[in-house]
Amino acid sequence: MRKILSVLIVVSVFCLSCKEEEKKPEGNDTPTKMETPVKVLPPITHYTVPDHSPMDMVYFPADYPLQKMAGKISALPFMRIIYSRPQKENRKIFDGLVKYDVPWRLGANESTEIEFFSSATIQNKTVKPGRYILYCIPQEIKWTLILNSNLYSWGLQQNRQKDLMQFEVPVEKNNVAIEYFTIAAEKRSEKSAELIFLWDDVKVKLPVSF
Amino acid sequence: MRKTFVLGILLFSFLFSLSQPVKLPEVDKSPLDMSYYPANYPVLKIQNKATEPLVARIIYSRPQRQGRKVFGELVEYGIVWRLGANEATEIEFYKDVKIGGKKISKGRYTLYALVYENTWTMILNKDTDIWGAFKYDAKKDIVRTDVPVQKTDETVDSMSMWFEKTSSGISLVIAWEQVKVSLPITL
Repeated sequence: MRKILSVLIVVSVFCLSCKEEEKKPEGNDTPTKMETPVKVLPPITHYTVPDHSPMDMVYFPADYPLQKMAGKISALPFMRIIYSRPQKENRKIFDGLVKYDVPWRLGANESTEIEFFSSATIQNKTVKPGRYILYCIPQEIKWTLILNSNLYSWGLQQNRQKDLMQFEVPVEKNNVAIEYFTIAAEKRSEKSAELIFLWDDVKVKLPVSF
Repeated sequence: MRKTFVLGILLFSFLFSLSQPVKLPEVDKSPLDMSYYPANYPVLKIQNKATEPLVARIIYSRPQRQGRKVFGELVEYGIVWRLGANEATEIEFYKDVKIGGKKISKGRYTLYALVYENTWTMILNKDTDIWGAFKYDAKKDIVRTDVPVQKTDETVDSMSMWFEKTSSGISLVIAWEQVKVSLPITL
């Protein structure tokens, strides 16, 4: 499963090197193009092709359903995130496709959903068990990550009145460009993890403990 | 010259990737997807166009047919199937409903199917957050109900699920290859 990353990186660098040559005759890139405008959505999902930005789930403990199946875990999971994974596709992501100071759904399509199955602590604040949406306001050197109660909403628009709490986290840089927006929960101890958000050359971490 | 350049970049990025300690999840071959009743509820919600409250949501992974014979081979008859790929399919109800004449309290469940040529037995089970059907435990079943197999008018490559409104409530429709079944859910 993880081996694919190196292949992805190789492929993405390869594509970058090709596309730069293809692009020249066409003139300017259009980095401001927004993803999936609401109006072009199909009315219903009859036989639809898979999403261009596929959905994915992240559990903490990592791979919880697999571990449960293998009999290695019997307790409940601590948390689960459901998000969609847009791709870089040769675009400038931060301060390009994703604007600074503008709320971003942390993914694509629906708002990113985070569920805590037990009480969590983030930056000394207590988060009650339950389901929330998580979005961010990105800036060059920090992101503001926001928990909000407006569940089951498409991610193009946030209802700021339903914000519950927010956390500021510094922006770190990756050495390589990550093609698919990725959320991971890296274990720090039996009951704590770092939520890691990665896309393009940006990496952001949010420690969560239970 | 250009080839050498490309090869150089490939080699460089390969070596670079080796030095990266972070393990990232790959992109799934059978991508996860969600369907709601009402259909496209999240979009309707932000447009203030939702005329009915949210009733149900299904979360499943969508295997691709890829030219294979699906029912009777890839998905064997008489064996409990996760109704998708990867994690077993999750169905959530936001209000109490009825399936197969039984009252189902709101909440999250796992939905399996026992597939045959002419009928599927749909199984609602309370063991959630589980991979596949490898540890399926019939003792945790909430309800089992049989539904007839119908034919689709076209071949469906990506397994698809969606909800439809019916006279008695809604149906969960499942389609793959040339097979379609509808699970009635009474509201």
